[in-house]
Amino acid sequence: MELEAIIGLEIHVEMKTKSKMFSSGPVSFGDDPNTNVNIVDMAFPGTLPTVNKQAVINAIRVSHALNMKICDLVTFERKNYFYSDLPKGYQITQQFHPIGSDGYLTIKTSSGEKKIGIERLHMEEDTCKQLHSWDFSLLDYNRAGIPLIEIVSRPEMRSGEEAAKYVEKIRSIVTFLDVSDGKMEEGSLRCDVNISLREKGSNKFGTKVEIKNLNSLANIQKAIDFEISRQSIILEFGGQIEQETRRFDEGSKETVLMRVKNDAVDYKYFTDPNIAPIQLSKEFILDAIRTSPELAESKLLRYRELDLNEYDSSLLISDKDVSVYFDEGLKSGCSAKLLANWVIGDVQSYLNKEGISIKEFPVCSLELGKLISLVEKGDVSNKQARDVFAEMIKTHKDASTLIKEMGLSQVSDENALIGIIKEVIDVNPQSVVDYKAGKDRAIGFIVGQVMKKTQGKANPALANKLILEEISRR
Amino acid sequence: MKEVNKEVLVTSANKLMFDMSDEEYNNLLAEFDVIISQMNLIGDIEGVDEAIPMTFPFDVTNTYLREDVATPPMDRNEALRNAKDVVDGQIRLPRVVK
Repeated sequence: MELEAIIGLEIHVEMKTKSKMFSSGPVSFGDDPNTNVNIVDMAFPGTLPTVNKQAVINAIRVSHALNMKICDLVTFERKNYFYSDLPKGYQITQQFHPIGSDGYLTIKTSSGEKKIGIERLHMEEDTCKQLHSWDFSLLDYNRAGIPLIEIVSRPEMRSGEEAAKYVEKIRSIVTFLDVSDGKMEEGSLRCDVNISLREKGSNKFGTKVEIKNLNSLANIQKAIDFEISRQSIILEFGGQIEQETRRFDEGSKETVLMRVKNDAVDYKYFTDPNIAPIQLSKEFILDAIRTSPELAESKLLRYRELDLNEYDSSLLISDKDVSVYFDEGLKSGCSAKLLANWVIGDVQSYLNKEGISIKEFPVCSLELGKLISLVEKGDVSNKQARDVFAEMIKTHKDASTLIKEMGLSQVSDENALIGIIKEVIDVNPQSVVDYKAGKDRAIGFIVGQVMKKTQGKANPALANKLILEEISRR
Repeated sequence: MKEVNKEVLVTSANKLMFDMSDEEYNNLLAEFDVIISQMNLIGDIEGVDEAIPMTFPFDVTNTYLREDVATPPMDRNEALRNAKDVVDGQIRLPRVVK
């Protein structure tokens, strides 16, 4: 029996707004427990929710990037459940009218391009952080109320690779749009997988298993590949798949049972009467889209127009902060190709060596661009530029200052160079004779002597040109 | 509508992880009798099934969205004043996952 996997993903993205989804309580990470809460987050009686404008703008931007229909009437529902992770006793979410619906994105996998349908995108609030010990649980409500968007795909993925590529693309979109930092390992982007198997060609869905809270792209792929293999073995031997929730165990690289789902929970959704429907104007929606930060795909096209090859362009957009650094550097007017080489090469190797991100890199990209411009003008050689670059990292000084301090300014003054060239040729007349006799290497000797006399500071291209002119005059 | 009897109340209470005395269940059942008879009265109104459930008293929309500006949070002691058990600034409960 040939089986195929049916995979759908639910992704929760924590937005990096300044305030919470329904309150002006601050959004901040890593602070002491319960220090970023206000009366709305703690559900004090009589408090009322207000909808965060930036969260709505963010949701519109992501919906647009995912080619979704955008609903211009914003409404919220209450998802009622008895649990300690939200003090109200319910979560405010968009159950009936998600702001984004019926979209898609295109992924590139080893077997080519594939379009993945996206059913819905809705806004909601995050729950509190719970720390479970063996006999008690500790609650920190700092996270309660942080704006979330939930993106629900259609069950159109068929492998771990496709699912990982899909999440990678979503992560790229939300980070380039400045909606989220997209850090899976820190929980800013959380992914739940629904997976079932069926006989290839069948229209019926098999029993689905949910895998919760996968915290890296690699783990998504591994968990799905394992689950496909686990379910295949059960079905091949005539067994039944149980409807259950599982988690991925990093140590054993296997999914393990969390709980069996006996019956579906009824959350008794109803429209939140504390939030009157909000009508978004056409101008508001268009403005949110028009002022949206540039997406990775658009940057890729722009870089290709700057004559960067596909490989270099892809490396630059693989990290939003790297692409921002590169774009800033371009403002210096230096060559895009040279800048890309420096960013991908020297800068990246320093970051790798030090284990830091480009945001922590001590040389600002405009200064790097200026250094590259000086190389282009021939004021410093490539080798000298690397020495200057090393000093820029150490001292945080600008390129021009360091070039002066290090005595590296190239001699590009023609009169000064001609004087030195004449002196060198006068004492080496045989080289002129040799060159004129066809020994091209003789010119190298003269260039070497000129470099020696100028302590390596002569502009090599200019020196070469002037030497040839002087020889022709003799 | 499902009949609300003692068994339904016990099941619901246990799903919510609590129990009540027989007297409390009987009191609650008596209250439900009143509520259900009143609902039946409403149910007798002609055409009530066609009425659209109403959330808001008026069919109006709003345009207000709050600017994304954070205001100072509550003092932590004040925020946790009603909590019975606080450890290291966190509310402590009996373990809430099985």
